[in-house]
Amino acid sequence: MDREDILKMLKSPANWGQKYSLWAVYFCTGCGVIEIPPVITSRWDAERFGVLPMATPRQGNLFLITGYVSLKTLGAIIRTYDQMPDPKYVVGFGSCPVNGGMYWDSYNTIKHLDKYLPVDGWIAGCMPRPEAIFVAVVHLWQMIDKGMATGYERYRENREYYETNQREVLPHLPKFASPEGSG
Amino acid sequence: MSEEELKSAIERGVEAATATVQRPGRLLAAVPNAAAVTALILLKARGFEHLSAISCTDWIEEEQFELVYHLWSYQDRIHVMLKTRLPRANPWTVTAAPLFPHAQTYEREIHEMYGVHFDGNPRLTPFLLDHWRGPPPMRRDFNTRDHVRERFGIEERIP
Repeated sequence: MDREDILKMLKSPANWGQKYSLWAVYFCTGCGVIEIPPVITSRWDAERFGVLPMATPRQGNLFLITGYVSLKTLGAIIRTYDQMPDPKYVVGFGSCPVNGGMYWDSYNTIKHLDKYLPVDGWIAGCMPRPEAIFVAVVHLWQMIDKGMATGYERYRENREYYETNQREVLPHLPKFASPEGSG
Repeated sequence: MSEEELKSAIERGVEAATATVQRPGRLLAAVPNAAAVTALILLKARGFEHLSAISCTDWIEEEQFELVYHLWSYQDRIHVMLKTRLPRANPWTVTAAPLFPHAQTYEREIHEMYGVHFDGNPRLTPFLLDHWRGPPPMRRDFNTRDHVRERFGIEERIP
């Protein structure tokens, strides 16, 4: 560790702790997840960057959306995201979560993920290389340092907006079952 | 059994059926809708025990749906494509599930994506789509772009 880093760390120990303990939720959607096994195992070894996969959303804080999101998957993604503890970071991986990608006129695939969940960063490309995940992770560190990775706060502040959009496409989600509307 | 023998067996056994040998090991048979199950029974009795898929095509210009049953015989190594056409207005046919139990799943998907009703299929319930509202999406008169614009609210990017 550099000496300058010590000063940075003392400024905000919480940020310093958070950025080196990213636990990626094991959640597979679409084809992008084919890049995840080489990333977390010996070939690229994500542990060098402090990223490890976590099987349960309640212990994870990094959510990689790895590919196209169908409506059914979006329901599962929202449920998973709601279960994750704060602070949590969402990274859209590949072009499909960005704007639908090659599914831009598909009847069952959502087009803009950030209408339904706050997204902290995007990795463009189809497919992005595994290295792109590390670029995203390093970028996420910088954002955490600067206090810019605030997706979870935006989700709380703009709950109305996100839940309206979610309800529009998935009115049957369990979280919308009660008359109050939030779960 | 050779392709030629099979061709004459189909034409003899099924009313108004036509069969052509496309190339060695591949037979194309067209039968009227009412005779589709008869043809399936005939083929299964001759060793076509593997129904690989049922596919559906929307011939909107001719106002017809075309169902294709892909059958394979391990013994003779022949692939039969059994084609039958249904009217597009009220598509209705008889299920193949008693002959090939897994046909139920293929029929369930075609029912969901094209709205073809398979009489006798016990499970024509929603399958892949999630709480789908609207017409069957794989029909050619279903405008996906309009649907996407309305459902997901995106700007059109291809002029």
